[in-house]
Amino acid sequence: MTVLLSFIILVLLFVVLVLVAKASEISAELKGKFDYIQQSRLNGYLLIGFLVLMFAGSAFAYKELAPVMLPKSASLHGIATDRLFNITTIITVAVFCVTQAALFYFAYRYNESFGHKAYFYPHNNTLEVVWTVIPAVVLTFLIAFGMYEWFKIFNVEARDKNALVVEVTAKQFNWIIRYPGQDNKFGKRVIDKEHISPTNELGIDWTDKGSHDDFMADKLYLVKDRPVLVKIGALDVLHSFYLPHFRVKMDAVPGIPTEFYFVPTMTTEEMRQYLSTQPWWQTINPETGEPRWKTFKYELACAELCGKSHYGMQKEVVVVTQREYDEWLKNQTPVYSTMTPKEAPASPQPAEPVKTAMLTR
Amino acid sequence: MQTAQTLEHVQTEHHAHVHGHDTHHHEESFLTKYIFSQDHKMISKQFLITGMFWGVVGGLLSVLFRLQLGWPNETFPFLETFLGKWAEGGKITNEFYYALVTMHGTILVFFVLTGGLSGTFANLLIPYQVGARDMASPFINMLSYWFFFAASVVLLFSFFIQTGPASGGWTAYPPLNGLRDTGVNLGSGLGFDLWILGMSLFIVSALLAGLNYVATVLNLRTKGMSMWRMPLTVWALMFTAVIGILSFPALLAGCLLLEFDRLLDTSFYLNNIVINGELLGYKGGSPILFQHLFWFLGHPEVYIIILPAMGLVSEVLSVHSRKPIFGYKAMVLSIIAILVLSFIVWAHHMFVTGMNPNLGAIFTLFTLLIAIPSAIKTFNWIGTLWKGSIRLSTAALFAIGFVSMFITGGLTGIFLGNSAVDIQLHDTMFVVAHFHIVMGVAAFFGMFAGVYHWFPRLYGRFMNETLGQIHFYITLIGGYAIFFPMHFMTGLPRRYYTYANFETFNNFNHLAAFISVAAIIVFLGQLLFVVNFFYSIFKGRKVKGEKANDGYEYANPWNATTLEWTAPVERIHGNWPGEIPTVHRWPYDYGANGREFIPQTEPLKPGEVSHH
Repeated sequence: MTVLLSFIILVLLFVVLVLVAKASEISAELKGKFDYIQQSRLNGYLLIGFLVLMFAGSAFAYKELAPVMLPKSASLHGIATDRLFNITTIITVAVFCVTQAALFYFAYRYNESFGHKAYFYPHNNTLEVVWTVIPAVVLTFLIAFGMYEWFKIFNVEARDKNALVVEVTAKQFNWIIRYPGQDNKFGKRVIDKEHISPTNELGIDWTDKGSHDDFMADKLYLVKDRPVLVKIGALDVLHSFYLPHFRVKMDAVPGIPTEFYFVPTMTTEEMRQYLSTQPWWQTINPETGEPRWKTFKYELACAELCGKSHYGMQKEVVVVTQREYDEWLKNQTPVYSTMTPKEAPASPQPAEPVKTAMLTR
Repeated sequence: MQTAQTLEHVQTEHHAHVHGHDTHHHEESFLTKYIFSQDHKMISKQFLITGMFWGVVGGLLSVLFRLQLGWPNETFPFLETFLGKWAEGGKITNEFYYALVTMHGTILVFFVLTGGLSGTFANLLIPYQVGARDMASPFINMLSYWFFFAASVVLLFSFFIQTGPASGGWTAYPPLNGLRDTGVNLGSGLGFDLWILGMSLFIVSALLAGLNYVATVLNLRTKGMSMWRMPLTVWALMFTAVIGILSFPALLAGCLLLEFDRLLDTSFYLNNIVINGELLGYKGGSPILFQHLFWFLGHPEVYIIILPAMGLVSEVLSVHSRKPIFGYKAMVLSIIAILVLSFIVWAHHMFVTGMNPNLGAIFTLFTLLIAIPSAIKTFNWIGTLWKGSIRLSTAALFAIGFVSMFITGGLTGIFLGNSAVDIQLHDTMFVVAHFHIVMGVAAFFGMFAGVYHWFPRLYGRFMNETLGQIHFYITLIGGYAIFFPMHFMTGLPRRYYTYANFETFNNFNHLAAFISVAAIIVFLGQLLFVVNFFYSIFKGRKVKGEKANDGYEYANPWNATTLEWTAPVERIHGNWPGEIPTVHRWPYDYGANGREFIPQTEPLKPGEVSHH
C-alpha cells in the first residue's frame, strides 16, 4: 500500500514538475524571445553555490570520515605505502581545489549576463608547455617514489631466510591455513586424482616425512617484527588474500602459486592499546556492550569475487610476540598424528568451516 | 575504396533525386523509415533510445542492490512481489545480488556508454559535421544497429531464465565463469552462455560501426574539410572507433576461448581445479591469460567511453562560451596520446595477480603518464571558459559538470595507477568511487551535454530548459553525494553483499544508507530526463528558422559554426537538399575578426589568415 501510495505521489510530482517547466517555457516564449541571459545569471550563482557546497561537503566528509578511513598500518611496507598515499592525497587535493575553483569561478564570472564580448584566444604555446611540464614533473616524482617502494616490497633477494612460512589456500568459501611445523618445511603436495580427495583437498603426500609435523590452524598466527612469507593458492576459483591492516593483497589463483612477504609491526594487543586512544574505538559496541577496541581483531578477507558467499570469507589474524608464538606452536597437533595408520592419507579438514547460517545473515 | 565508390554512387543518386522532386525525398514505408532505416540520423535515434532503455534498466539494477547495501538488515516486501524467488521474504538473495552487480556493469559499460553514446553521436555527427550525405556504408550501419539490438534481446532474455543472468562479475573472470556449473556459481550456467552470446553480438556491432565511422571520416569529408578543420567531436569519435577496432577483437577471441572451456572442456584458462575435493580434468591453462585478453579491451574500453564524451564537451563548451576551444591542436594531439597509451596500460588492473613485479613497474609508468594528456585537456577546457561569454544553458552546464567530474575522478586514478598504493586500494570501494566518477558519471554528463545540445538537430525542437536544469543539479549534487564518500571506504572490498561478517569493515553503515538514498534520488532525477526527452519530441519548443528559396527551413539555434546547422531543420535523406557545403575555415571561429561567429562555409576574406 505504501509502495503504491509513494508511487502515485511520485508520478504526481513528475506531472507537476513537467507542467511548471512547460509553463515557464511558454511564458518565456510569449515575451518574444527565450531569455537565456536570465537563466545564465541564475545558473552562474548556482554554480558558485555548488562550488561552496562541494568544498564544504568535502571538508565535512574529511572531518567525519578520515578517522575511520584507513585502519592504522601494522606492517613495515604499509607504513611506506601509506606515506605515498598521503603525499598523493596532498598533491591531488591541492590540484582539486585549484582546478575546481577555476572551473566554477570562470563559469560564473564569464557567463553572458555580465554582457561582455568573448575574447578570441585560440591558443598560447607557453601556457600549454607550462601545464604539460608541471604535471609531468610531479608525476615523475610519484612514479619514482612508487616504483622504489614497489620493488622493495617484491625484492626476493632481500628476504630473510628465517622468515615464518605459512601456506594459505582459498576455496569456496573458506581459507585453509597450513603451518610447516617445527622443521619449517611443508610436506609435498601432489596434484593428481590419487592424492586429491574430499578428505585431502590439498593433495598432501603423507609418505613425505616433511608432512608429518604440518598442522592446520583456524586463525592466522603471525609474529611481531618477524618477516612472514605467505604462500598463496586456490583450489576452485580466483580469490584474493587481503589483510587490510597489513596493506597486503595478493590474488589466489588455481594452478598458479603466488606469495606475499611482509613484516607485521604491532601485536594484536598493541593495536588494541593504540585504538583505546581513538574516539571511534572508544564507543560502545552494542553487540558486546564493551568499548570497541577491547574486542578488536585483525582480519583476513577475500578481495576477488569468488561466488555467492564471497563476502563471508573471514578469518581472524593474530599477531603475537615470538614467545607467545612458541607457546602456541607447542599446543598444535600435526594432522598426521591424528590419523590412524590405515586411514593415512587422511583428512586434514580445516577447523570450523564457514557456516551458511552466518553467510546469509 | 569500394565502399567509398558505392557511396559516391548513392550520393549522386540522392542528388538527382532531390533535385527532381522539390518538396520531398523519396517515399519510404514505415518499415524502411523507422525500423530498417539506413539513414544515419534515424540509426542515431535508434541507438539513443535503446541506450536510454538500457540506462534506465541498468540504473534500476543499481537501485536494487543499493537497497541491500544501504539497509542490509531490512526487508522490503514489495521486492518479493516483483522479483519472486530472487527476493524471498523481501530481501534480495546473495546470488541475485551478484547477478545485479554483474549486469549493472555489463549494461552500463557496453550497452549504454559504448553502444548508446558512440552509436548515437558518431551516427549523428560524423556525416553531418564532415559534410557527407550519409555513412560510407549505410547498410553496414544499419546492420551495426541490428546486431546491437540482437545483443540487447539476448541479454534481456537472460534475466528471465531459471538460473538467472550472469553473476560472476562484468569482467567475467574464469574459473568462476569458466566452469559451466551452477553449483560453483548460479549465474555461470545458461546465464553466462547468454552473456557470451550477447557480448559477441555486441562486439560484431561495435566493429561494423567502428569501421564505418573511420571510413566515413577518412573518405567522405566534403571539399575543403581537411583533417585539421574537423571539429573535435569528429576527431574524438574517429579515434574512439579506432580504439574499438583494435581492441574489441581481443575480447571476442577471449570470450570464445572461454566458451570453449565451458562447452568443449578445453583448458585455455583452467588448470588444476578442485571442486568439493574432486580434481577436474583441466590442465595447463591460465586464468591470468583471460585477464590479459579482457583488459586488453577492458582498459581501452574506458577511453572508448570517455573520448566521445570529451569530444562532445569540447564542442559544447566552445559553442556556448562563444570562444574557440583553447589549444585545438593540443586537444587533438592529446587524444592521440591517450589512444596510444590506452593500449599499454591494461595490466594496471592486474597489479596483485602475482604477475612479474617488473611488469607492474612498467605499467605504473605508462598509467601515470596518461595523466599528462588528460591534464592538458582539462586545462584547455578551463582555458576555453576564461573570458568567454558563456551561455549557461543545460548543455553547457552538463559540459562544465563533465569537466568537474573528470577532474575529481581523474585525480584518484593517480593513487590507483601507482602499483605500491594499489596493493591496498585494489578491488576496494575506492576503485568503485574512482571509475564511477571518471568514466561513469563523467561520460553521462558528456552524453547529456550532447543530447541537450543536439536535440534540435535530432528533432527540430528544444528540450525543456527548466526540467533540464533541475535534472542537471540533481545529477551533479547527487552524483557527488553517491560517489565522493566512497573514497573514504578505502579498505572496504567491493562486491560485498554485506559487511556484517567483518569487524574491520563494519563502521560505515550510516554512510552506506546515505549513499543509497542519494542513488535513489539521482535515479528518479534521470527519469525526469526521460520524461523531458519524450515530451519534447512531440511538444518541445520548436526551433525557429528561416525559409530559404528551396522551400526548406534553416536554423542555427546555438549560432554554431559547424556544418550540421547548415542543413535544413527537417531531417532529409542525404542531409542537404542541394550541393554539399564547401568548407573554408576551421570550426572554431567564435569571436574572430570581431564577429560573433563565422560559419565554416564562409570563404576567407582577402588577406585573412586561416587558423588551420
